[in-house]
Amino acid sequence: MFTRKSAIQFAAPTRRELLFHSGMGLGSIALTAMLAADRARAERPLAPKKPHLQAKAKNCIFLLMEGGPSHIDTYDPKPKLNSLHMTKFAKERTKFQAAMNTGDRYYVKSPFEFRRAGKMGIEINSLFERFAGVVDDVCFYRGLHAESVNHPTALYHLNTGNQFGGDPAIGAWVGYGLGTENQNLPAFVVLPDVAYPQGGAANWSSGYLPAHYQGTPLRAQGSPVLDMAPPEGVAPERQRANLEFLNTLNRSHAAAHPQHAELAARIQSYELAFRMQAEMPNVLDIDKEPLAIREMYGISGPDKDAAAYGRRCLLARRLIEAGVRFVQVIAMGWDSHDHIDKAHGVRIRAADRGIAALVKDLGQRGLLEETLIVCAGEFGRSPDNGIRRGGQAWGRDHNATAMACWMAGGGVKAGQIVGATDETGLQAVEEVHPLKDFHVTLLHLLGLDDNKLRFLHAGREKQLSQTGGELIRALLA
Amino acid sequence: MSRLLPALFCVPILLAQDPAALFRDRIQPVLKKDCLGCHGEGQVLSKLDMRTRAALLKGGARGPSIAPGNAAGSILYQAIAGSGPLKMPPIGKASPEFVDAVKVWIDAGAPWAEPAVTDRWSAFKEEDLWAFRPLRAAQPGDPNSIDAFLERKLAEKKIAAAPPADRRTLLRRATLDLTGLPPTYAETKAFADDESPGAWETAVDRLLASPRYGERWGRHWLDVVRYADTNGYSNDFERPNAWRYRDYVIRAFNNDKPYDRFLREQIAGDELFPGDPEALIATGFLRAGPWEHTGMSVEAVTRQMFLDDVTHGVAATFLGLTLGCARCHDHKFDPLPTKDYYRMQAIFATTEFARPRLPFLPTENTSGLAAGRAGMKAIAGKVQAHIDAFNDLSVANAMRKHGVTKPADLPAGVRAKAIRDREGIGPDQFEELKLYQKHMQLYQESLDRYEPKAFAVSSGPRDGATDGGPNLKYPKHAEYTPPEVHVLPGGNVQSPGEEVSPGVLSLVERYAGLPSPEVPASVEGRRAVLADWIADPRHPLTARVMVNRVWQYHFGRGIAADANNFGKMGARPSHPELLDWLAARFIASGWSVKKLHRMILLSDAYRRSSVPTESAAREDPANLLLSHFTPHRVEAEVLRDSLLAAAGELSPDAGGPGVYPQINEDVARQPQHRMGSLAPAYLASPQKRDRNRRTIYTFQQRTMADPLIEVFNGPSPDFSCERREATIVPTQAFALFNSQLAHDMALALAAKASTLEAVFVRALGRPPTPEEASLAGEHWKKMLAHHRANPPGPRKPAAPLVHKITSELTGELHSFTQQGDPDDFEHNLHPSEVTPETRALADVALALLNSNEFAYVY
Repeated sequence: MFTRKSAIQFAAPTRRELLFHSGMGLGSIALTAMLAADRARAERPLAPKKPHLQAKAKNCIFLLMEGGPSHIDTYDPKPKLNSLHMTKFAKERTKFQAAMNTGDRYYVKSPFEFRRAGKMGIEINSLFERFAGVVDDVCFYRGLHAESVNHPTALYHLNTGNQFGGDPAIGAWVGYGLGTENQNLPAFVVLPDVAYPQGGAANWSSGYLPAHYQGTPLRAQGSPVLDMAPPEGVAPERQRANLEFLNTLNRSHAAAHPQHAELAARIQSYELAFRMQAEMPNVLDIDKEPLAIREMYGISGPDKDAAAYGRRCLLARRLIEAGVRFVQVIAMGWDSHDHIDKAHGVRIRAADRGIAALVKDLGQRGLLEETLIVCAGEFGRSPDNGIRRGGQAWGRDHNATAMACWMAGGGVKAGQIVGATDETGLQAVEEVHPLKDFHVTLLHLLGLDDNKLRFLHAGREKQLSQTGGELIRALLA
Repeated sequence: MSRLLPALFCVPILLAQDPAALFRDRIQPVLKKDCLGCHGEGQVLSKLDMRTRAALLKGGARGPSIAPGNAAGSILYQAIAGSGPLKMPPIGKASPEFVDAVKVWIDAGAPWAEPAVTDRWSAFKEEDLWAFRPLRAAQPGDPNSIDAFLERKLAEKKIAAAPPADRRTLLRRATLDLTGLPPTYAETKAFADDESPGAWETAVDRLLASPRYGERWGRHWLDVVRYADTNGYSNDFERPNAWRYRDYVIRAFNNDKPYDRFLREQIAGDELFPGDPEALIATGFLRAGPWEHTGMSVEAVTRQMFLDDVTHGVAATFLGLTLGCARCHDHKFDPLPTKDYYRMQAIFATTEFARPRLPFLPTENTSGLAAGRAGMKAIAGKVQAHIDAFNDLSVANAMRKHGVTKPADLPAGVRAKAIRDREGIGPDQFEELKLYQKHMQLYQESLDRYEPKAFAVSSGPRDGATDGGPNLKYPKHAEYTPPEVHVLPGGNVQSPGEEVSPGVLSLVERYAGLPSPEVPASVEGRRAVLADWIADPRHPLTARVMVNRVWQYHFGRGIAADANNFGKMGARPSHPELLDWLAARFIASGWSVKKLHRMILLSDAYRRSSVPTESAAREDPANLLLSHFTPHRVEAEVLRDSLLAAAGELSPDAGGPGVYPQINEDVARQPQHRMGSLAPAYLASPQKRDRNRRTIYTFQQRTMADPLIEVFNGPSPDFSCERREATIVPTQAFALFNSQLAHDMALALAAKASTLEAVFVRALGRPPTPEEASLAGEHWKKMLAHHRANPPGPRKPAAPLVHKITSELTGELHSFTQQGDPDDFEHNLHPSEVTPETRALADVALALLNSNEFAYVY
């Protein structure tokens, strides 16, 4: 299905080839109209497509925790560190280690309280007050290995499967594989935090896939989609009149170039743009939600940070409901090298309400069954720390061999802990899988086979996992 | 576990087969495809040769591979089944069917069906090797012009070629093609009225002589080499002198630098032409890919990243090969063994980053440097003042702690330590200090753009001028020894295989007979040999690849449609003989790109109408045979440049450090993360003549593209772009119909044109038809009424620019007010500054600038 031919089906000559082979002549306006209708079908790269496999989940919300959240301080506590706290040791610098992780080191215990939650009795940070209430819907995964301990490369790896960037993001692959339900909205939407993450927009790029699949970042302020509205002071009736005049010009131009089918597609794209302009504000208007729902997400609460995150979680639900295929919600600030008590504490409090509300709300609406929720950072954190600012700081460095991650929703084995890390949390030791296997599993849960979801680029059939991976069956229901 | 299930089903079937046939049908093909690349052909990793039964019985470093009759006790079976310590293949997994087959086969005594020594080279089919064979020599009776070659194929298919395009269409086509800008009305009219027989030739020569030509064709080259002004990744630091490479490329095209010289300069200018400053600037090509090394990077990994990037970058650019595929394993489709990949990589093993001083050339635009430097220093000075204040505070805190009142009274070393450790500065304040420090770091790097230095390389470290950032330590040149290069199975830098010496790709000698030169093992001279080998007129790929690129940009499709892939998976050439004929002419002309353009533009094929004849529409709808001209949308840069040109706002300035165009305001104001903090806000260049320059002169930031360029399929600078896509997405309509830039340019156009006719002439290069004039007149009247009733408010002052960051220290939000536009910002025309009549004309103009006629070339 994803052969070279389908890869180039958006190129004009192939379409023309198709049309002319169907035996139509040339020259009439009526033909132009037929061409346009035919093209409308061929030109909808985002039309819903049949998945490769039967799957429960149709949509995905990816909660990206940027900066490297600590598994040790969230949902994988390590009591052993209490006895090792501030014990010093030295790590030799080798050719394959970054300067950051070497030299004098000391172990650091978690400053947080933990409590048991859910039927499985997982110990999670007590600051997750509300999240603790929904863990029975969640599958915690402790076996994941990333590769890079450098933020941008690790983020690219998590988001695109390729550490060095430039490849399509998961959301772009999913849009390419499944299309999307609402043709007036993008298939892949990103809800960034106050700043863009390291590596910038390449984290949601369509890479070598056609531009239709690119992630559209929705801004919290200003126009949610770039230039969706004209400059201030341009009245709607003026815009409409200009559009009509443009359409008149384009129609007579198309009539003079009946052989050039692409023109109709461009006319259509203007109309689609204005349908999106009309529809998007409705989707984004969270004031339409009942008060109880808004409160559940903490949107009007006193914690502004939690309110902002809750707002993004609620928007994610509304976008999924409106037919968007893949939404990524980014929460930044998990890079706690110092003062992890404060830094992670604030981050957890800010995320707790939104995450819990999202799981619960989707559940109540029966949407959790058809939505996959994934929560992960680009790597985990180390049980030890280096010398910071001339002394010891209660924080943690980056760690690619153990991380904090969970999944919930359609097809996921709920209420489970899968895999384990060693006694200090340095390394995952059970049910260990590289990130590419996680990607394969994520696609699988959405009905996509990584080995079939390919695109020919630069002489190679490329895929999200890069070279193929293995399904993590333990995560599946 | 997962393997048990298929095994249950498969084994009984397999047991029923003749084991020798099982080996021949199910095992040997997999061994050939997946194993022999590392174990037997070209290399023998772990001393294991898997080509014969005897060799498998002998085994490798771990002992015998097979124990006939005992699969479970055989290393081969354990490795593929994952039941032992060794797992094979290194990437991916053996299929369950294969694992089962091997089990049955070994248990049955491992009979060998036939001598298995295979020659991988003989597996390639001649038809897949066309690009590696020498250029076809001319035969008596061959066609001797582009048109004759094309006509032969059209005649075979009985396709009638389209008649010539009308003169207006033709001039627009050629002007956009050669200069990336639309012709002016006067130019079009002059050409249309020139009935002399040499009119077309004169027009082509005029366009080729225009300095705008190098800006247009230089951009094509920058697509292929992945040019950007920054490194990418965490800090996305500026490559402060990369602009000199960009201008070098433009000059090279404008001066028609012979292509063999052009490529030799870029690959080995420093070695081949040591006194030539242009040749040193040219080596910036080797570093064009994204690359960064920070305190969190692993040196062996970032070094390998560069080596991989430059190896496949050179192969893609000059040879049209997907050599990157051979990084982990032998190329699956082309005769490119992994060993060749690493031998070529070894050529770059001694290539180090350098940023030596190199005085500016008279041909470089240095006019803005002094002012630019002063401006940036002033901003950086303000930032430094903030840092100084924090330093003073740290010292004051230390003084309080030590009970002294003067810094001089502090014990030795305490002052420096207080500043280093930020004595007494809490996390909240530290977040602010970090921002200033980050800005300072970025400015310090960027200030070098005004200095006479080259973004270049050297063979071995160039003492005193090494580059790559503070985290890399280089030895002295005298103490430097070339690093060993090993094959890296699976591309993994942590598990080196066989050591290799530098060398060129063996397929050229094998298939084209060009002897592979010796590449010296010395520090210097490796790249020189590579460059001379590529530039050799007998090299089968070099001229073909370049000629094909040029053809592709003219016609929208190469003679071979995949310009970066001349291997088996690339499209076969539609006119192989024409490609070879052009390549031979190109070499014979002294590798002159301009002569090649001329030959193409003077052909009938180039001048044809875009309307296909009936036979063409029937027989060749994809227009592979070029019976007519294939229309296409203009590229992103052409669109922006045309917009500015139509508005009369395009700046003629050329060269020098990148300028900052007016981009979407939301993107401009968006905070950008830089390792540990935020970047300074994006500020458009204050003067119009800077920010309204051609797009090729705009600053190319890897982590933040101009969204207007991006949405119209501008290429990612992270990989080589062989051909632009032209997808149609609705966000393009937003960018061109709603953006401030489009509205500003429409207004500027309207203000310069006093009549509707003049608006058409400026926007489309022609007066309106009577019908259009009447439609536009109606629209204008309607909008005039609207504008009279709705006068615009005055220009609003810019809102303060507040950036927020989630602090990694406190987990809380921090806000910083960023530097806004400077006072001397030269604003675009504002609606409140013109009459309602002009505003209504601007509405007409906006529609014309969005029209399909504006966006397409016929």
